[in-house]
Amino acid sequence: MTQIAPRAKTNRRRAFFTPPVVFALVLIPFTIEAVGVFYPAIQGILLSFVRWNGIGVAEPVGFDNYVRLFTNDIVLYGALGNTAIWLVLFGGISFAMGLAIALLLQADRRGVSVYRTAIFLPMVFSLVVTAVMWTAIFQPRGILNDFLNAVGLEDWTRIWLGDPDTALYAVIVAALWRQIGYVMVLFIAGLKAIDPTLHEAARVDGANVFQRFRYITMPQLRGVNLVIISLLVIDSLRSFDIIWAMTRGGPFGSSELLSTYMFSTAFTDRQLGYASAIAVVIFLLAVGVIISYLIRAFSETKED
Amino acid sequence: MTRRHRSAVVLGMAGTVTLLLAGCLGTGTGTTPVEEDAEGPLTVQSRLAGDSGDAVALQAVVDAFNAKGGGQVEINTVPNETFRDQLPSYLTASNPPDVLTLYGGSLTRELADEGLLLDLSDVWEGAEFSDGLRALSTDSSGNQVFIPTSYYWLGVYYKKSTWEAAGAEVPTTWEEFLTASEALQANGVVPIGIALGDAPWLASAWFDYLNLRVNGADFHIDVLAGDESFDDPRIEAVFEKWDDVLPYFDPEAPGIAFGQAATDLTQGRTGMFLAGSWLTFSLPPESLDEYDYFQFPIIDDSVPLAEEGPTDGFVGAANTDQPKLTKEFLAYLASAEAQQLMFEANPNDTLIPANPNVDVELGPDAIKGQAILESAVGGVTQFFNRDSSDALQATADQALTQYLAGAKSLSDILAEWQSEAERVRAG
Repeated sequence: MTQIAPRAKTNRRRAFFTPPVVFALVLIPFTIEAVGVFYPAIQGILLSFVRWNGIGVAEPVGFDNYVRLFTNDIVLYGALGNTAIWLVLFGGISFAMGLAIALLLQADRRGVSVYRTAIFLPMVFSLVVTAVMWTAIFQPRGILNDFLNAVGLEDWTRIWLGDPDTALYAVIVAALWRQIGYVMVLFIAGLKAIDPTLHEAARVDGANVFQRFRYITMPQLRGVNLVIISLLVIDSLRSFDIIWAMTRGGPFGSSELLSTYMFSTAFTDRQLGYASAIAVVIFLLAVGVIISYLIRAFSETKED
Repeated sequence: MTRRHRSAVVLGMAGTVTLLLAGCLGTGTGTTPVEEDAEGPLTVQSRLAGDSGDAVALQAVVDAFNAKGGGQVEINTVPNETFRDQLPSYLTASNPPDVLTLYGGSLTRELADEGLLLDLSDVWEGAEFSDGLRALSTDSSGNQVFIPTSYYWLGVYYKKSTWEAAGAEVPTTWEEFLTASEALQANGVVPIGIALGDAPWLASAWFDYLNLRVNGADFHIDVLAGDESFDDPRIEAVFEKWDDVLPYFDPEAPGIAFGQAATDLTQGRTGMFLAGSWLTFSLPPESLDEYDYFQFPIIDDSVPLAEEGPTDGFVGAANTDQPKLTKEFLAYLASAEAQQLMFEANPNDTLIPANPNVDVELGPDAIKGQAILESAVGGVTQFFNRDSSDALQATADQALTQYLAGAKSLSDILAEWQSEAERVRAG
């Protein structure tokens, strides 16, 4: 026994021995993540409980920032509303258009790849370049107004980015121009993964185009939808660069999103505590929307 | 009160300043021993864009200082916006840049009151600046913390040919200004250009000047400091005057970017543009003589004339590990010799050296600008954001663009402005 036991132990040890490289592979990314992501995130949450201008001493104020946020901030309500509009229009249209174009261009016919490339091309531009280009289009004497004048729609001309009624939507158009191609590519990848025999079987059974879309394509795309919707929600809530480059949230707050409001509160108003509270709200919104969607999506999967 | 009022005691040149400085530093043994400077070159954190005249001037003066062999200075240029956002981080860092570009006004004072700026009183002891500049460079506890190197003027810029074609005369009074605007408009020119698309703060130049002309500098400073309210009847009076010229403002302004607005002026689409001397950089360099500017018209003779004369310069970081060399370099920047070098290196006729003993020939624009600023017996202000804060500037942008767009009633705009200003000041 006494002789066997140690051998057994060594055997067991050998069997369960974790090589140091595994520790390294886990701990190094974890450390980087902890220093680069978790620590600043926790700092950000802690900052939301102080009043701090970034220069002097931070003064703890408890929940004051949150109280002010939810009881006494008109700009925030506007930004919340605009963020909701952004989420619905930017997220919704890029989802619908991306899917529609993907369905049109999924088949490998001659010349289709040209269209796919053309629609995907805006994605290669950085958002700031996109913003510069669309700002030129939306100029008071820019291409858009010139076009409207040329076709006799003078009444429709606007100072697109300078008019509080149109600024937000003008920026959404610019953002969509870039996003749709991206969503399309994701959908095409998803569509390609659908087993073609399913469609053939349905066709044999007499299902028309719409029935096949409803009962085969959409259910088969569920996994892809999940990814795309999560991406779109995150993209919507973090949208900042294009709106900052085109309107800076103006004119007079009409295109202010939570993200731009957070930025100007932090770096123009120098209220870093309050800005952190806004950041926490954005974080909770993003996590909330995505988690609730994930729960729904997975419970549907279970029912099947 | 006037900035150009020269200080009674004019000591010698940079040498004297440096000697005084060396003396001060040398006697530090009894009380708090002066620590030795750390090794290595001094860093100047600069917000001046790489190819601008100001940046060239800074490079020239740094090269001259390095050539003296007393110590080495390096320039670290960062984009203006980044500089503004990161300024507190720079200054609170344990190893901050030693010298930073900055401008005179409330931001400098605020940073100094937080203890982030190096006390430069000993550098100032022999300095040759005017009393106005001394006051501008002094923090709340009476120490000088800022070295002014140059200042500029604001004026109403116009293209001569546009005005000649419309038969408009350069105005000095408000009535003449309205007549000229009328003439320009009758000739198919948009009289007043402004770029609210990407530079809404330009509207503050109008607010500043109208308030200075209607209510005077003291009231203006009180409003910006929060001692008077933005919904005061005297502010409403400012907007009554603004109403006079509102029909002459570019209706497309909300969508116009600064570059486009400058092009509109050069192409004669717009007639004039209220701006700082920096507008010159956006005009075609080969035909600058086709442009001119005039002093913002007088509205009320009984109000002591005040002007805007934004002042640029340098500060030292309180946490610097090379305080001796930092002060030595800043003393050099204060000297007439250095400011002359900077002036000569900058080929644009857009600046006036802060040191009155600089022996240079000003260009025609600067001569006029200097005369305008010398006429300001009522005081010289810096600009809306420099006299208040960037945060208050944001509230002004909001209120003034709303006013220019006719988005709300004036009383609503002013009430909202006041409450936003209170919120911003409360932090």
